[in-house]
Amino acid sequence: MSAVIETQGLGKRYQRKWALSDCTLSIPAGHVVGLVGPNGAGKSTLMNLAVGLLAPTAGTIEVLGRPPAAGAALARVGYLAQDAPVYRALSVADHLKLGARLNPDWDAGLARSRVERLGLDPHQKAGTLSGGQRAQLALTLAAAKRPQLLILDEPVASLDPLARREFLQDLMESTAEHELSVVLSSHLIGDLERVCDYLIVLVGSKVRVTGTVEELLATHHLLTGQRRDPDSLPAGLAVVSASHTDKQTTLLVRTGGQVFDPTWIVSEVTLEDLVLAYMSQAVGQAGRRNHHLEVHQ
Amino acid sequence: MTWLTWRQFRAQAITAVVALAAFAILLGVTGPHLASMYASSGVPGCRATCTDRATSFLGVVTGVYTLVYTLGIAAVVLAPALIGIFWGAPLITREIETGTFRLAWTQTITRGRWLASKLALPGLAAMVVTEGFSLMYSWWAAPITEAARLAPGANFPVGMGPFSLLAFDAHGIVPLGYAAFAFTLGVTTGTFVRRPLPTMAITLAVFAVVQVAMPLGIRPHLFSPVHSTVSVAQRFSGQESVSGDTFTLTPDYIFGQPGAWVLASHAVNAAGQPATVMPAACVGPDSGNSLACLASHGIEVAVTYQPVSRYWAFQWTETAIFLALALALAGLCFWRLSRRLS
Repeated sequence: MSAVIETQGLGKRYQRKWALSDCTLSIPAGHVVGLVGPNGAGKSTLMNLAVGLLAPTAGTIEVLGRPPAAGAALARVGYLAQDAPVYRALSVADHLKLGARLNPDWDAGLARSRVERLGLDPHQKAGTLSGGQRAQLALTLAAAKRPQLLILDEPVASLDPLARREFLQDLMESTAEHELSVVLSSHLIGDLERVCDYLIVLVGSKVRVTGTVEELLATHHLLTGQRRDPDSLPAGLAVVSASHTDKQTTLLVRTGGQVFDPTWIVSEVTLEDLVLAYMSQAVGQAGRRNHHLEVHQ
Repeated sequence: MTWLTWRQFRAQAITAVVALAAFAILLGVTGPHLASMYASSGVPGCRATCTDRATSFLGVVTGVYTLVYTLGIAAVVLAPALIGIFWGAPLITREIETGTFRLAWTQTITRGRWLASKLALPGLAAMVVTEGFSLMYSWWAAPITEAARLAPGANFPVGMGPFSLLAFDAHGIVPLGYAAFAFTLGVTTGTFVRRPLPTMAITLAVFAVVQVAMPLGIRPHLFSPVHSTVSVAQRFSGQESVSGDTFTLTPDYIFGQPGAWVLASHAVNAAGQPATVMPAACVGPDSGNSLACLASHGIEVAVTYQPVSRYWAFQWTETAIFLALALALAGLCFWRLSRRLS
């Protein structure tokens, strides 16, 4: 399985502040990859580095097997920036013409049929489109380049729930049709749950967990039982998060196999639980120590 | 890419064409009458009393013609500044402000080609428009310019001689250089400042400083000036001011050198030493014509000037300087964009 994006100790600093530091990850091809993390995790910075809008301060990044040089041609990567920027004064038709003029491999048929299907008026100025329509127009531009990799930065963040569903539905159809690799970021797992088959949780520039959705759901379990110290668990179980009430302890654990301990009620985790558990690890050591204190009280 | 550049530039281009057309109408309406006044003034093809005829022609050029003359100079001189502010400064900063640079710079064509197109089309348009203003204006003002050359002492509102501050900037080919410079100044400043309004303000400030520094500090020294002395006995046109027993003589022009650019002048005695003290014989009620008296004591005026024959050398040199500055700024802009902006 080849990687569409591979980074090694990647870092980007703005003046004094590191927006991304020591990030090492590998995003496999042939998936719809959800890049999830809280605001400020470095998702946008990573994507900007991947399309050459930023140059790394440290480390390396390779996209489709080569480093994205700042200002170099971007033929095989389609990019939808955060908030889907479009030219307000240009019409929908103008945008398609722009795409055709700036991209030699432009698929005019694809662009036209997408715009028709979405019910966009070709003569309407992009500035008067709704947020959802604007995102759809920007996605059309990115997709009609016929890229191998589509990078979408928070594509649905500014959309209402209905527009979100339509956008993601449409994205899924395009992906299936054109055998694209897709990387899309969000700080809300709910957005990505339906479309992603691969997940990367990025917190504070670090990859917390990565894998196909199927594999993640199979290897994580929710354990509920009498209140106790998570340290007393059998080997082979890694506690991702723990929460306690007066009488009960709930653990989210990762394990290679099944959990056969009868003192626990084992249930399946939702993707959202799983991601939230990993994201809350961002609190780090301090947070984990608190769990122990609670338990020993 | 040319299509996108044109599509984004279209509104500004239309504004420029409308401004050019309005200017052409204003000049076209007033020009023929000015030309006929000039034709009947006896100045064209005159063999004698040319200065008097030119002076009297300039005397009847009043009212609306003075206004158009002044407006015209203002239009040609301000056009590059406006182009720098409204075409150059927003070119990249608007893309940054609206985030559309993320769209424009992630297409298949490179950022370098994007910038080349963005600089070439509006940049050429800036030069054509400004030079258009200048050519139309030069055509309209030709009678006044010609008369002013013959009668340099005549009183007229602004910039008379070919080298005078505003007239030099408005005629010939220098407007072309100013336009190219102002435009690239706006674009390149934007790559550092990144926000439209501050970029516009800085562009205007820098351009204004350059436009003042050039005629005052640099232009006089582009070619080494001619030093000469002029007699004050006859045909001295200028100001003589006497206070107590000191005097100064300031010539308006140099006889035999119409249109020359006088850089400096001071009175000298027969030995060539600077003279400021009135000879005793020239002070007092019985001294008569003081100029004649000064002349009889060997007083002359030493002048440092640029002859009008160098006019086009000055025009070409200054245009070349501004075009070179524009190219350097464009190069800096390419370098800025090839690195990163955010």
